[in-house]
Amino acid sequence: MTVAHDLVGVLRAIGRFVLGGLASIGRVVLFAAKAIGHAVVPPYYPARLAEQLIVIGWFSLPVVGLTALFTGAALAQQIFIGGSRFNAAATVPAVTVIGIVRELGPVLGGLMVAGRVSSAMAAELGTMRVTEQIDALTTLRTDPFRYLIGPRVLAATLVMPLLVLVSNVIGVLGGYALATTRLGFNAGNYLDRTIAFLHTDDVVSSLVKAAVFGFIVALMGCYHGFHSNGGAAGVGRATTNAVVSAFILILMSNLVITVIVFGGK
Amino acid sequence: MPAIRVRGVHKRFGPKVVLDGVDLDIGDGGSLVVIGGSGTGKSVLIKCILGLLAVDRGSITVDGVEVAGLRGSALAAHQAKFGMLFQGGALFDSLPVWRNVSFALPRRDGSARLRAAAIDNLARVGLGPDVADLRPSELSGGMQKRVALARAIAVRPAIVLFDEPTTGLDPIMADVINDLIVELVRDLKITALTITHDMASARKIADAIAMLYAGRIVWQGPRAMIDTSGNAYVDQFVNGRADGPIKMLKTA
Repeated sequence: MTVAHDLVGVLRAIGRFVLGGLASIGRVVLFAAKAIGHAVVPPYYPARLAEQLIVIGWFSLPVVGLTALFTGAALAQQIFIGGSRFNAAATVPAVTVIGIVRELGPVLGGLMVAGRVSSAMAAELGTMRVTEQIDALTTLRTDPFRYLIGPRVLAATLVMPLLVLVSNVIGVLGGYALATTRLGFNAGNYLDRTIAFLHTDDVVSSLVKAAVFGFIVALMGCYHGFHSNGGAAGVGRATTNAVVSAFILILMSNLVITVIVFGGK
Repeated sequence: MPAIRVRGVHKRFGPKVVLDGVDLDIGDGGSLVVIGGSGTGKSVLIKCILGLLAVDRGSITVDGVEVAGLRGSALAAHQAKFGMLFQGGALFDSLPVWRNVSFALPRRDGSARLRAAAIDNLARVGLGPDVADLRPSELSGGMQKRVALARAIAVRPAIVLFDEPTTGLDPIMADVINDLIVELVRDLKITALTITHDMASARKIADAIAMLYAGRIVWQGPRAMIDTSGNAYVDQFVNGRADGPIKMLKTA
């Protein structure tokens, strides 16, 4: 009797957890659909879009660029050491460029932007929610989704590919700088090999990943901020949840895109 | 026909019943003040009237139009009838004062005309053009309330909702805000619904007063009758007594 009772309790808890999870996914999907609708259907707020392009793209460039620079250099060093064990040190330019463009450029760029932008969006919208500024927008004949969410989601999705493109170039140059100054590579030869090994689908997959990651970054920041409640503590929770969920979704979607694009090759 | 008619409105959040059958009429051009203690559902009531929250049961009509079930452009048209002064002002931190005040005005008017309109509305609440370029964070609490008031009336709404308009202000500044509300309601022929627990404010602003307690309107009448209502809840609240039918926990 007690065992059966305990079993029912466990099943009930599992059921609650699963239903709660599905309900959360449903809420995020509906929010995403509404965000896309409000981002692409007029009326637009071009000034808000321009502001977000600068905040997300331009102001993230230093942190994303430095991340790419150091990662590219460290990657070249590791490939050189590992490759030397089986006489494959010459693969440094090829493996570095593929590693940076396919994976590290978009993923690390996405994670850095998530840390910077998702948290800022969640904090700003969360504060607007708890100080009733979002309700105020409604009373001022302005749709909060169109004014706050649409421009952020659109800007992040558009600007992330540009950011990752620049970051990829910086990452490759980081590897190039280390390889030519410390590992004895010839500068011209290194660049020739880098270009020769880089294919169009490497670049396309990198940019597609970047656009998806940008969408995720803005979506999580906006979703958690918009639904923030409970004062300052609630804003703090929203900020943490935005960053954590953006990180997980970026890594998960990276795997999915990688398997879809490169899984059959 | 009353401008706002509320009948049997129920609203709960989880197990907590906030509104438990509210009935209320607000006449066209009148000024009704709803009094009641903290947490009695006053803010929820005006958010339901505004369409920011959906009622669980009951009916709210504004100018004869049922609010429940409004969506999209119909809901936006309903909300466009209102201006609202929020308790904390709810000014947009990132925008200067003049952009806050002119926020709901049509953008096609151009910046120069929007700015002029903002300065005109600021003058109505006793603020000079020198504050137009300041940020809300650079203003005192009283000035923020005045700017929020200017923003609420900028589009000349038919109805203005005032949520605790004097909270956080010293008694003199609170009286200044009360005077401004009375002037604006009279001069602009606005229908006003105010929620407050400040009796000095209620006595000054109201044509009529209603008291909300335990999710229901327990008394409604003209302002002049507030001290002779014969209602035990109203008497206790108006006189600020701890003893009476309204029970408050003395220990947390």
